Amino acid sequence: MTIFSYRDERRLFTLIGIIIAAALLALLQISAQRSGATSPISAVAGSVIEIGETGVAIAIRDARVFGSNVLALPSLERQNAQLRARNLALIEENARLHELAAADAAESRTQPIVDLYHGVEARVVGFPPENESRAVTIDKGYRAGVRRDDGVLAADGVVGRVASAGPFSSSVVLVTDYTSRIPAIVQRGRWWGIARGNLGSVLVEYIPQDAPLRAGDVVVTGEGRSFHSGVPIGVVKSIERGDATLYQTAVLKTAVDLGSLDRVVVVTR
Amino acid sequence: MAQSTIVHYLAIRNVVPSFVLVVVVWYAIRVDALRAALYGLAAGLCEDALSAQSGASWMIATCLSALLASRLSRGFFADSLPLAAGSTILATLLRALCFWIAMALSGYPAGLGLLHLHEALAQAALNAIVIVAAILVVRRYDASPA
Repeated sequence: MTIFSYRDERRLFTLIGIIIAAALLALLQISAQRSGATSPISAVAGSVIEIGETGVAIAIRDARVFGSNVLALPSLERQNAQLRARNLALIEENARLHELAAADAAESRTQPIVDLYHGVEARVVGFPPENESRAVTIDKGYRAGVRRDDGVLAADGVVGRVASAGPFSSSVVLVTDYTSRIPAIVQRGRWWGIARGNLGSVLVEYIPQDAPLRAGDVVVTGEGRSFHSGVPIGVVKSIERGDATLYQTAVLKTAVDLGSLDRVVVVTR
Repeated sequence: MAQSTIVHYLAIRNVVPSFVLVVVVWYAIRVDALRAALYGLAAGLCEDALSAQSGASWMIATCLSALLASRLSRGFFADSLPLAAGSTILATLLRALCFWIAMALSGYPAGLGLLHLHEALAQAALNAIVIVAAILVVRRYDASPA
């Protein structure tokens, strides 16, 4: 005869307990289902599981993103290199276009002079080696029609005179050079004088003593070998008068900024 | 070419260092008088070709200053810094003097002697600095192991 041991008895009660609990849970679930509400068990289980599911979904998403990034890395590098190269090309083109625009603006300033005097446009390319004279070298010579003693103008006025012309370049003595002499007229009263270079400025000498000069008067060229009349030389800065002299001297500020010459026009004869 | 383009922008109160003269003096203190004179002649001729109205003034002036530098170097070591600096200063002053005498004889207007003297003194100082710096740089490269 089989005798139930204490262990067997415990097993039996455990089994019965489980069956009863399961039945109660089932009844709870069925009751909630029938009523359309969420059972507490579902709510708790759903909440706990939802946290876990969210965590896993985030992890999976991140893993997918990471994986796709790793896989896309070579193509990203290529794209990056292409974009960098394109960026550099755009920067260069931008600089080139800026330069073209500036050059066009500079050219448009001298073009009216070229048209008016049928001149030769040139660019300043050099200076005297030891700065011993106020002169510049331009990139046009006698092959372009430049001759000695031709006048040289910029957009704002007189620059100087051609001192020597080679086949492809010429030396231009500036109006401020000590050897420069140009016939000049004070525009307001038509008083004649000689504009002489004074290294940093221009002096107009031999103006009659009784001419009522004043600061701000515009001085232009007189008709001469190198220039036509009416081209601005400068503006009177100050006047030097002597008590026992026949003439007065006007100190001019040049119309052209001779320190930043770039494009000039040679007035050919 | 650098002397007639880039150096212009290094001007201090219209005075520029003369790299041409520095090279001529540096060469002249190492060779005999005839070679120095020929070298100075050639260098001066190049400068006259690039100048507006100098005629042959630079040629004469540079030739004479090269001769002076070559004569001064007799009895001294050619790589002596005081010799190089002193020769450069004297050569610059002599060169300016000869140049403006030649220009005056060619018809250059008178009246700027004091200005030219001041410019020559300033240029002599600049040239001395340039030649000393150049010699020091060359010495350093010669001293460093290959």
